[in-house]
Amino acid sequence: MKLKLSILLLAISVGAFGQKPAPKTEQDFYEIKTLPIPQDLYLEVGGLATMPDGRLAVSTRRGEIWIVENPYQKDSHQTNFKKFASGLHEILGLAYKDGVFYCSQRGELTKITDTNRDGVADLYEPIYQFELSGNYHEYTYGPVFDKNGDMLVTLNLAWIGFGEGKFAQWRGWLVKIKPDGTLEPQSAGLRSPAGYSINDEGDIFYGENQGDWVGSGRITHLAKGDFAGNPGGIKWAKEPNSPFKLTLEEIPDNSQPMFEAAKKVKNLKLPAVWFPHAIMGISTSDIIQDTTKGKFSPFPGQYFVADQGQSKVMRVFMEKVNGVYQGFCINYREGFQSGILRERFGSDGSMFVGMTSRGWGSTGKDNFGLQRLVWNGLTPFEINAIHAKSDGFEISFTQAVDVKSVKNAASYALRSYIYQYHHQYGSPIINVKDVKIKGISVSADKKSVRISLDGIRQFYIHEFILKGILNEEGEPLLHETAYYTLNQIPAGDKLAMNESTAPVIEKEAIAVVEQPKLAVNGKKQLVTEAQAMALLKKHTCLACHAKDKKVIGPSYEDIAKRKYSDQQILALVYKPNPQNWPDYATEMAPMSHIPANDVLKIASWINGLGAKNKVEPNRD
Amino acid sequence: MKKVFYLLLLPWVCWAQQTIPLTDLSAFDHPSTNWTIEQVIKARPTDTSFQVSSGKGVLLNTLRHGKYKRTDDLKFNLNHGDIHFMMDFMLPKGANSGIYLQGRYEVQLFDSWGKKSLKFGDCGGIYERWDDARGKGNEGFEGFAPRQNACKAPGLWQSIEIDFEAPRFDASGKKIKNAVFKKVILNGILIQENIEMSGVTRGSLFSKEGPLGPITIQGDHGPVAFKNIRYETYDKPSAKLSNISYQYYEGKFPEPVIGQAIPLLKGNLAALTQKVIKARNDYLIHYVGDLEIPETDNYSFQTNWTGSGVLKIDGKEYNSGAHWYTDDISATVNLTAGKHKFELIHVKDFSWGPKALGVFVKRIGAQIVPLHVRTSLPDPEPRGLIEVKANSEPVYQRSFTFHQGKKKTHVIHLGDPTGLSYSYDLKQGALLQTWKGKFLNATQMWLDRGEPQTAEPMGLNVVMDGKFPLVLSSQAQPDSVDATKLVYKGYKILLGRPVYMYDWPAASLKVEDHINPNENGTGWLRTINLIGTSPQKSNIEVVVGNSPDVVEINAGLLALQGMGYYVQWAGAPAVILNTQPAGKQVRVPLQGNSFTYQLIW
Repeated sequence: MKLKLSILLLAISVGAFGQKPAPKTEQDFYEIKTLPIPQDLYLEVGGLATMPDGRLAVSTRRGEIWIVENPYQKDSHQTNFKKFASGLHEILGLAYKDGVFYCSQRGELTKITDTNRDGVADLYEPIYQFELSGNYHEYTYGPVFDKNGDMLVTLNLAWIGFGEGKFAQWRGWLVKIKPDGTLEPQSAGLRSPAGYSINDEGDIFYGENQGDWVGSGRITHLAKGDFAGNPGGIKWAKEPNSPFKLTLEEIPDNSQPMFEAAKKVKNLKLPAVWFPHAIMGISTSDIIQDTTKGKFSPFPGQYFVADQGQSKVMRVFMEKVNGVYQGFCINYREGFQSGILRERFGSDGSMFVGMTSRGWGSTGKDNFGLQRLVWNGLTPFEINAIHAKSDGFEISFTQAVDVKSVKNAASYALRSYIYQYHHQYGSPIINVKDVKIKGISVSADKKSVRISLDGIRQFYIHEFILKGILNEEGEPLLHETAYYTLNQIPAGDKLAMNESTAPVIEKEAIAVVEQPKLAVNGKKQLVTEAQAMALLKKHTCLACHAKDKKVIGPSYEDIAKRKYSDQQILALVYKPNPQNWPDYATEMAPMSHIPANDVLKIASWINGLGAKNKVEPNRD
Repeated sequence: MKKVFYLLLLPWVCWAQQTIPLTDLSAFDHPSTNWTIEQVIKARPTDTSFQVSSGKGVLLNTLRHGKYKRTDDLKFNLNHGDIHFMMDFMLPKGANSGIYLQGRYEVQLFDSWGKKSLKFGDCGGIYERWDDARGKGNEGFEGFAPRQNACKAPGLWQSIEIDFEAPRFDASGKKIKNAVFKKVILNGILIQENIEMSGVTRGSLFSKEGPLGPITIQGDHGPVAFKNIRYETYDKPSAKLSNISYQYYEGKFPEPVIGQAIPLLKGNLAALTQKVIKARNDYLIHYVGDLEIPETDNYSFQTNWTGSGVLKIDGKEYNSGAHWYTDDISATVNLTAGKHKFELIHVKDFSWGPKALGVFVKRIGAQIVPLHVRTSLPDPEPRGLIEVKANSEPVYQRSFTFHQGKKKTHVIHLGDPTGLSYSYDLKQGALLQTWKGKFLNATQMWLDRGEPQTAEPMGLNVVMDGKFPLVLSSQAQPDSVDATKLVYKGYKILLGRPVYMYDWPAASLKVEDHINPNENGTGWLRTINLIGTSPQKSNIEVVVGNSPDVVEINAGLLALQGMGYYVQWAGAPAVILNTQPAGKQVRVPLQGNSFTYQLIW
């Protein structure tokens, strides 16, 4: 026994001295646990509901409700699935209240009861029957119960080459339905409102997908009478019980930013937080506030927003400025097994993540899945919050920072931009402007930094890349990039400009990135794979593409087969033509913010992949 | 972002085949006296023989002198090679007959109603082969059971359709290609497909195979009746396309209209193909050719293309529109013998989807002929079947479904382990269809995004009227009821199956609709319960069916839809009303709080 122990110690010490610790990753803090699903079960998750007895209910796109025993995998890893209900029509929302299930089917809000308590549903009652035109894209989500016991339901638009809500009543709306079946329309302008929830103040937020009239993914606070931007269902604002009146003709369609339209259209509600397309997901789905009081994450009260296409969970901090919600989004945990549609907190403060990617594709390769996101209690070095200030922002961190690193102007890359508002699908980013730091001040506890900026712009997305900021141990941030949507600029004091707040501008001995020599001796000099990968990662291309396999978009090898010129690739990156890739369900967003030189380097590498395939046999 | 194509599926306009007139027995070769021509026959599902009314139109086999013999088999005068053969047949309980193609290859007709496990000797089976030389007990070999049981109840008219390809022989008489049952379709269900025959089946008229032979119906086992005997053989010449030229225009043409465009390229073609140009999209190709018509007749043209196009013959437009290449668009044109001007313009102004162009011509009496090169029309995408099964317990599933050409959005289907299934419109409290055999094809709902979001019956289907069955006795039955006239209250699960619940304000009553298999699992037992104390209750009638025709078999047993299914009940006699246009409505006055009737097919 003694001997064994000393060998073990030896091994540890060798390990400790042998190498530098690897940089910390998401999984060092936020662990993903997979619930095994029986092989014959098609658990395409549409809804999740935790039950007070420790079980979990899961509803599926194939119309079943399964009850999972031991979902927290406490004493064994194995779970038990029992079918509770079946035969329903694509259940994209599930709630459990007072021993009864409530779910949305395409055409119905349904109450499901097990009257004889044998563990299987035996009574299916309609609370409300929705009109349907028969278009596949008229999805129905919910319900979410409000504090009065009324049910919120969102109704997706039909898709006929564009989002259309006029075929069936209240499509494109958030509606409230009382237990007696009375419907009250609440808010309009929704396109694909797959996820929504109520926060601790009783306010409703929903996640929206990029699409027509939606330049990029976003979350929006929906108050009664709000119009969130897509006019597909605006026809129903004419109904006598609509909380507001608005016609299509009143909505500008001129590719100006949405905030310009909001100056003219009274009910038009700007997003609380924009999620830049392809960087912060491609298909925003569920949103949920961390109400676990510190069990789920080191960020109590913040929000967690899922993305179907990129199989990840992002974090959102929101504050209210002048009565308006705004805040930032930042990556939290990627690497889930399929496309995330649902997030629900379990009784232990972990988060159940329900997934399906059928019809759209996702980075996570499975067709469907059920996992749990668990915080292991260790706090990483992360941005905690960003508060808007009259002249800039105040950024707080989870750990004390290295003062030298935060005083250095080169630790920050800041810019702002916005999207167009128009009937076209998506938008490039427009009005891009770099933002210069004028002043920096560190709080006494070193956990908060005030920055004064040259030219913050109301309504714009402010991109923060804090790549140089270190904690006192010299570690970088776990996530360095955040996007703050500045709907309102608060009043208040300005940072004093003096020697102590002046940023340090270092004349760095910058290792200039070598420009690829595009022609040496008349031959094309290939960009190395390492160089290309660095660029692809930096510009988030790898979120949707891989070198040799289909992810959300085609592989680079497949792109190489198309034999585009480098310039053609540049043109397509800036203005994609989704029709070139009809077999891919998700359209590529315009990536016109990537510097042309970078795209050309990437293009050169891509075309090198094609050349490699044609290399003649070795003649040596 | 897939462009939306509006599906317009037009089947071949006419199968105006040759008909065997059943006014007398002249179409048959020395029929035995068991075979007669009659008008109406009917039977209860339990009867082993028919009730017969004399007249014309039905061919009947009846036992007349003791025992059936081989000579009671009915040989047609028709000697055929390749043939498409269709007819309706009626079997009494326990009947056994068969159709021998060329007198050699038998498709079995048998009362297999309700059987679970099928063999080659069941209805629609291709009968086994037989060779005494194989030794006792081993004489039988091969034989092909049908894919599923698509056999109706005794006493109902059934249909069978056989697409048969005769064997081929070289000049020396040596067989070079086997006979093939290309398709056998029983009551609308495909049950055999491309089954190759190594030789004649048991009971063949001939021991040797040959290029021709007579259709023969087995008449030595018991009573059986036939009508609507039709066939098509393929000995006529069909259209040809020659002297083909094309002009290629580059650019985005949303419509097949050339306008002022200048062709980029022109040339001649040996046969029609879209592969003549390399461009995958953004083109217009204008093909012109001589359509050589051998004899004056009707010719049907089926086109397939991705994008848009127009087919013109002698300058007149026929097939046109934006389509996916798997949509079959067809038009029938009467053409005189000689040359006609053929023109086809095809455009594709988008890059997704396969480039595809196909043109087929069909003349009755000739095989379907492609006018294009095979590679011009790619294969459809493979799509694996998603089948919902109900093998061990009842299974219910909601979906959209088509009923009489309309998409219904609030539909539930029930599949029962007895093999019975139905579709029910929850908004109307109405049966849409009822079938037996396999349960549900959910591919269109659960593959990819499931764009049509529909599910379809996989078995022998009978389409119902889709109407709420209760009416107040003086009132007409409405085609549909809105949510204020019939308030859907959900369903409860009883015996594993849904019981549908409604409020019916017109009578101030609650309604419960129970649909369960009957005792033998041969049909549905539908019980409608009325709950509440309404003065109207004595004034209610149940519409048990709407049908173009009604045949009364006996009291409380009617056959509807061309004797396609039975309704049966005990109690008050039916009142049969005439409805517009030219239909019948069967009503039964309600007595008490409940009414039960059966649907049997």
